[in-house]
Amino acid sequence: MNLSVLDEQKFHYCCQLLVQQSQQLKDGWCWETVTSSDEGYLKKIIVRTVVIGSRLMWNHESSRTSSSFHQKQEDQMCETENLNAEADGDDEDDGLCTFSESRSLVLQYEYHIVYSYSYSTPVLYFRAFSLEGRSVSLEDMWRSVHPSLRLSLQKNRLSTISLQEHPLLGQPFFMLHPCRTEEFMRPVLQDQLRPMNYVLVWLSVVGPLVGLDVPLKYSTQLHLPG
Amino acid sequence: GFASSSAADLKLQFAPFSSALEAGFWHQLTQKKLNDYRLDESPKCIKGYYYNGDPLGLPTRLTLEFSAFEVDGPTPAHCCPVTGTLFNTNTLDAFKTTDKKALLEKEAKEIWDAIQSGSAINDPSILCRFILLTFADLKKYHFYYWFCFPALCFPEGIKIVQPAAVLEQVFSAKQIAALQQAYDELCVKRGTTAVPYFLMKYTADTVQVAPLADWDAFVTDTKKVTIGVYDPCTLSQHPGWPLRNLLVLLANRWGSKLDIVEVLCFRDRTLQGNRSIQHSLIFHIKLPELPLNSACPKSVGWEKNSKGAMGPRMVNLSECMDPKRLAESSVDLNLKLMRWRLVPTLDLEKVVNTKCLLLGAGTLGCNVARTLMGWGVRHITFVDNAKISYSNPVRQPLYEFEDCLGGGKSKAMAAVERLSKIFPGVNAVGHNMSIPMPGHPVSFSQATLSQAQEDVEQLEKLISEHDVIFLLMDTRESRWLPTVIAASKRKLVVNAALGFDTFVVMRHGLKKPPATLSVSAGPDSSPSCSSASSSSSTPAGGAASFSGSSLFSNIPGHKLGCYFCNDVVAPGDSTRDRTLDQQCTVSRPGLAMIAGALAVEMMVSILQHSEGGYAVASSSDDRMNEPPTSLGLVPHQIRGFLSRFDNVLPASLAFDKCTACSATVLDHYEREGFSFLSKVFNSSHSFLEDLTGLTLLHQETQAAEVREESEQSKMGGENPSVGLEKSRAR
Ligand SMILES: [Zn+2]
Repeated sequence: MNLSVLDEQKFHYCCQLLVQQSQQLKDGWCWETVTSSDEGYLKKIIVRTVVIGSRLMWNHESSRTSSSFHQKQEDQMCETENLNAEADGDDEDDGLCTFSESRSLVLQYEYHIVYSYSYSTPVLYFRAFSLEGRSVSLEDMWRSVHPSLRLSLQKNRLSTISLQEHPLLGQPFFMLHPCRTEEFMRPVLQDQLRPMNYVLVWLSVVGPLVGLDVPLKYSTQLHLPG
Repeated sequence: GFASSSAADLKLQFAPFSSALEAGFWHQLTQKKLNDYRLDESPKCIKGYYYNGDPLGLPTRLTLEFSAFEVDGPTPAHCCPVTGTLFNTNTLDAFKTTDKKALLEKEAKEIWDAIQSGSAINDPSILCRFILLTFADLKKYHFYYWFCFPALCFPEGIKIVQPAAVLEQVFSAKQIAALQQAYDELCVKRGTTAVPYFLMKYTADTVQVAPLADWDAFVTDTKKVTIGVYDPCTLSQHPGWPLRNLLVLLANRWGSKLDIVEVLCFRDRTLQGNRSIQHSLIFHIKLPELPLNSACPKSVGWEKNSKGAMGPRMVNLSECMDPKRLAESSVDLNLKLMRWRLVPTLDLEKVVNTKCLLLGAGTLGCNVARTLMGWGVRHITFVDNAKISYSNPVRQPLYEFEDCLGGGKSKAMAAVERLSKIFPGVNAVGHNMSIPMPGHPVSFSQATLSQAQEDVEQLEKLISEHDVIFLLMDTRESRWLPTVIAASKRKLVVNAALGFDTFVVMRHGLKKPPATLSVSAGPDSSPSCSSASSSSSTPAGGAASFSGSSLFSNIPGHKLGCYFCNDVVAPGDSTRDRTLDQQCTVSRPGLAMIAGALAVEMMVSILQHSEGGYAVASSSDDRMNEPPTSLGLVPHQIRGFLSRFDNVLPASLAFDKCTACSATVLDHYEREGFSFLSKVFNSSHSFLEDLTGLTLLHQETQAAEVREESEQSKMGGENPSVGLEKSRAR
C-alpha cells in the first residue's frame, strides 16, 4: 500500500478524527456536508481584527487594479447616505453601550479542507470577508494579516495560490494549490514508527502559510487509534 | 472608571450585536430570490447565531451564513441559534419606505406576549431574535440591508448595584471548576453545546445550575438569585445584548419578589486548546418593577450603520458575484502570482497597459491575440480587410463555422466579438480596412486614390495611438507601409512571418528620436553620410564581408534592422507574377501558434528591458550569459525551423539602403507624405530600389550569390540573413 497517497475514504476518516480532536480542543473545525450529496468538507471560521494602520499599505501597490478596501467601503457608505435620513426605527436608547468603535477592521476568515480526486490529497480553500460579507482581495489579505506569507511561499515553493471555484459550493475561493503536496507529505508518512493523521500533518504544514495555526495540543493530546 | 462616579447613577448598558454576514449568505439569498422567492415579499424565517469565546477586542457578532435559510439545520458548536425574520423587498423604494418602527413594534409585541404568557420561560430563545430587511439589486450585485435586534426597555433603565468584576476575583478556583462542570452537565442534559440562559446557585464548594423553567423548584431564596447568560460580549464592563430581554422577563415574572439580582455573564473561551471561564463577569443590579399586565414597553434595536448613524448598510458584491468582474480579477490574480512566485521583478503593469495594434487577423493575428490575452493585455486593435472563409476556423482560433456563413463575417469584427466573449474585460476594437501596398496601384480613379489616402491616414492614426505594432499579414508588401510609418513614429514593431516549416519573429530596430539623429556619427546611423557613400555600404544581411560574429553581437536596438533590411529587392506585387501555388503560403499548422506565441513573448521581454526597444540584441551565444531581463533574453530575431525543431537568435544591422527603414525613405515619407507613398504604390519596385540606391548595388554585387551563401551559413546561427523568404515563396 502506498502510504503517501490518500484515498477518499482515508481522507474522511482523518477528518473525522480531526473533528473529534478539535471538539475537545474547541478549535472550531467542523464537518460540513453538501445537501444533495454525501460529499463534505472540513470548515473553520476565524474572526480577526486588522489594524487600521495597515490601510496605507493596502493602497501601496496596484492602486489602479485594486483600490483600497477602505476606499470601497467609504464609497458604499456614500451610496447609502440618502437612505439615512429617515431613521424611523428608534428613539434614544440609554441602555445601549456606545463604546467608541476601535480603530480596527474585523475580518472573517473561512477555511475549507476539501478532498481532491485529481491529486488524491486534501486541498485548502479559503477566503476572507468583511462583516458585510464582502470578499477581501488576496493582496489586501496578504498585506493585512500575513506579510510573511508571500515570502514563505516564495521561499518554500510548497504551493501556489489561485482563485478557483469551490468544487462543492461553486463559489470563488482562494486555493492553495496541491501540486507539491505529495512530495512533502511522502517522507512524513513513510515514517512508519509513528502513525499520524495525514490531514492533520498536512494542515500543520500548509495552514501556517495562510494564517491558520494548528495548536501543538493536537499532537500531544492523544494518540490515534491504530 | 467606577471609582470616580457615583454608583447610584450607574445604569447598565448593553453591547449591541454587530451583524456579521458571510459571503455565502448573500450567495444563498441571491439563489433564493431567483429560484424561490422571486417577487414574493412575505416574511421568511431565517437563522443566525452568536458565538461565545472570542478573543478580547472582537465585536459581539450575530452571524448569518450560507445555512441561514435552513432554520432546522445544525448550529455550529458553542454557538446559540437566533431566529429571525427576513423581509426581502422587490425594490429599493419598498426597502426605503418600509415602516421600520412598525416592524420593530410588532416583533417587540410578540416577545412581550411570550413573556406575559410565560411561554418565554420554557423557550427563552424568543427573547433573542432579529429582523433583517433587505433589498437585493441583482443587476449590480448591490445588497441593501438593515438589521434589528429588538429589545424591550425599562423606562428608567437598570441600576447597577455592584459593578462588574471578573469571575476569578469573586470565585475561588474550586468554585470556577465547579461552575464549569455544572454548566457542561447542563449542556449534555439538554443535548446542546450552548445554553443561552440558566439559573445558578452556589456555596463555597459547590455550584448548581438549572434551566429557567426550573425556577420554582430551584430558586429557594429570592434574596440571592443568580442568573446566568451565555454572553457573547468581550467587553470588561458590559454584557451583550442577549441579557437585555431576559431582565425584562425576570422583572415581569418575579419582579415583585426580587430586589437585587446577581448576573453572571458566562464567557467561555479556548485558546490554543486551553479552556477558560475565569474571565466571565459577575455583577449586581437592582431590578426595576415591571408589573404584570402592564402595556408593552418601549422597544429599540435597529442597528447603526458603519458610520455610527441610524441607517441601513449596503454592500457591493460585484467583485465576487459578477461573473465579468470575477473573470477580470482571476486573470489579474494569476498574472500576479507569476510575479509573486517566480519573477518578483516582473513589471506587469507595463505589459497589461500596453496598447497593441494587430495588423492582420488571420492565423498569426488570432494566435497573437490569444497570447496577449494570456498576459492580461487589455487593449487590442485588429486591422484586416478579409472575410472569414470556410478554411479559416480550423487554423484561426478566434473563428468558427457559423462565422463563415452568408459570405463570411469580417475578420477584424469577428475577432473583436470573440475576444469579448472569451474575456469581457478586454478593450478590443476592429477595423475592416485595407493597407495600401507598393506595386498595387491606387490611382485608377479619384475614388480609389482618396480611399487609399483615407486608409493611410487611418493607419497613421492607429499606429500613433498604439504602443506596439504587430505585423501579421500574409504578404510581404503589405508590411511595407506600417514598417515605414512605425519607424517614422518610433513605435516598437514586432513582425512575424511564416514559411512552410520556417518562421521569423523579429523586432524592428527602433530608430533614435529624430533630434539625436543629426548628431550621431558613423556610416550606419548618419543618413547624409550613408547616402553619399553608397559604394562603401553593405547590406546588413549580405554576409560576404561580415563573417566575424563580433559584428553581430551587442547591436543596440537603434541599429537593428527591419524586416526589409535583409532584402536586396524592393517589395512589389508578389501576387501578380506568381503561380497560384506560390501565392498560397501554406504552413505547417502548428507554425502560426508557435510564431504567434513567440511574437508576444518577445514583446513582453522587450517591455521588461529597462531600455525597451533600444535594448541590445541578445544572440544565441548569450544563452549561457546572465540574462538582461527578469524573463531572459531580448533577441532581435527568432528564426525557427520546424523540420529540425530548432530556433536560432540572429541579429542584424539596419541596412542603409533598406526600402522601408532607411533614412532616405523616411525622409521622403516625412517630407512628402501621401504624395510620396502614392508614388510607391503606383510604381514598380524599381522606384524604391532607385531611390535607396539598391539598383546601384545590384550592379555591383551578384545578389543571388549572397543569398545562396547566406542560406548555407545560417545553419551555424552566425549569419542572420534571408533564407526564410525563399521557403515562403516556394
Ligand atoms: Zn529596414
